[in-house]
Amino acid sequence: MEKLKDALDFRDFSRAEQVGFTIFSIFLLLFPWLGAGSFVKAVMIQFLLFSLFGMGWNTVGGYGGQVELGKAQYVGIGAYTVALTMVWWKIPFWVSMPMGILLAVGYSFMIGYPLFRLKGHYFAIATIATSLVLQDIFANWKLVGAAKGIELPIHDHPDFLYMQFKSDTYYYYFIMVLFYVAIFYMNWFRRSKLGYQLRMIKDDEDAAESLGIDTRWCKIKAYSIASAFVAVGGGFMAVYNLYIDPVSVMDLDLSIKIALMAMLGGAGSLWGPTIGAAFLVPLDRFLGSWLGGHGGLIGLDFMIYAMLIMVVSAYQPRGIWGIIEQFRRKGS
Amino acid sequence: MAFLEISNIVKNFGGLVANNNVSFQIEQGEIIGLIGPNGAGKTTLFNCIVGYYKPDSGKVIFKEKDITGLRPFDTNRAGIGRTFQVMTVTTGMSVIENVMVGAFCRTDDRHTAQSEASEVLNFLGLESVKEYHLNELPIAMQRKVGLARTLATKPELLMLDEVASGLNRTETDELVLLLRRLNAEKGVTLILIEHIMEMVMSVSHRVIVLDYGEKIAEGLPGEIVKNEDVIKAYLGEKYAKSH
Repeated sequence: MEKLKDALDFRDFSRAEQVGFTIFSIFLLLFPWLGAGSFVKAVMIQFLLFSLFGMGWNTVGGYGGQVELGKAQYVGIGAYTVALTMVWWKIPFWVSMPMGILLAVGYSFMIGYPLFRLKGHYFAIATIATSLVLQDIFANWKLVGAAKGIELPIHDHPDFLYMQFKSDTYYYYFIMVLFYVAIFYMNWFRRSKLGYQLRMIKDDEDAAESLGIDTRWCKIKAYSIASAFVAVGGGFMAVYNLYIDPVSVMDLDLSIKIALMAMLGGAGSLWGPTIGAAFLVPLDRFLGSWLGGHGGLIGLDFMIYAMLIMVVSAYQPRGIWGIIEQFRRKGS
Repeated sequence: MAFLEISNIVKNFGGLVANNNVSFQIEQGEIIGLIGPNGAGKTTLFNCIVGYYKPDSGKVIFKEKDITGLRPFDTNRAGIGRTFQVMTVTTGMSVIENVMVGAFCRTDDRHTAQSEASEVLNFLGLESVKEYHLNELPIAMQRKVGLARTLATKPELLMLDEVASGLNRTETDELVLLLRRLNAEKGVTLILIEHIMEMVMSVSHRVIVLDYGEKIAEGLPGEIVKNEDVIKAYLGEKYAKSH
């Protein structure tokens, strides 16, 4: 009860933030009736999905300061669990999604335990490596469709149990609900014991240890929370796209985008991932369709992301939100 | 049984012997000064006790429990707090948030942590700066915040690594009063590493002297200042002979 109150309590934010968030919420709620085309709708769904991913990453990567570049493997676990159990045993989405979360969390503890013996760059590289290994396993594993991937059976009628709808609007509202669950959770998380401890770890790990914080265990916990978040998003991707393969749900590209959204927007702030996604998802979509018509320029999008990573980490590690905060502190 | 018992601590770094067979005992409620020239192995000894280093041999017994080689967070939970000589100046958290992290060591509830943090800040006279970030404060204040967040973990034994360095006369005097109050009102046992002789001698009940990693003297402040080995260690052989 106490936790729920904290999750819904936005009073410690400034007036401007509260008003902004309210307007944004009204916009999200009314968006399907604003007459946007299917392309824009798809971009909006992508935006909310990546905000969700980014908020997950933000626990360990933003608050905890651990540069984690392997979130795609958990997107994959979530997506594959939903897809495979639906194809094999016709298990409804509402059962398979929690299964996906459990698997992702279990797997994240297994991976996290050895992984968090490493620090800094070594940790970042190791997270990439584990994700690549899992992707390779799935790309060669016949039972789970190998590189061909899996198509989900399409039902004739809309089916809430299996999350199959004719119109994107339903998917939109579903991901919007997930987005708000994530926002409220993160609003609680940032003021929780674990949230404070992670920020201390990010600031000064030795000092954190001296204050009774089991730094490694804290990081593992945050890592598994992040994994649960992205597994939910993965499950959504499976029912929304109705087709998954190792490239679409487990690629390094996806891991980097997740981290980049949060970093660009503002790692370690509640709004950061959403702001980052609002910039990067449309950019990504635009580049994708534009480059599609210019065969020779494929790969340019990666160059742009790489530049963004460099600029953010060199000039403002706390991202767009960090810039805003800086101005505010100076102003007051 | 002593409150803290250090026996035969040895710590080598490659060929360098940082601590060689150091042993001493401390009773509850004491204020101990740990002194010695630069590089005498004082901070290494702290790190061996608290768990940043694992001693090569020897034992640390705290409240009849063997804590040798435990990690720092474990020794902290057991009741040992320590501050750092160099405070990493961070920008991510405000003063009260820093202190709340310490309070979270003993509670899971945010509101409890917050009120305990405020209490500690009041005790140290820091309530007026609680919303500032560390990088916005002068060094003396930053050190005090470091002390505050360690105090918030409610240590029974507090190990202070040069809290007074860089402070001016008035600030040092204030600190001495504060440490005495801490000792008297809250019953905290203190070990201080310090370079400022006047301060150590006035505040400590007993003084332990390290030189080249070995304990060369232990006793009341009055005895220590007259001890020949100590004078030699600090001022050199020639000075000791000529006086």
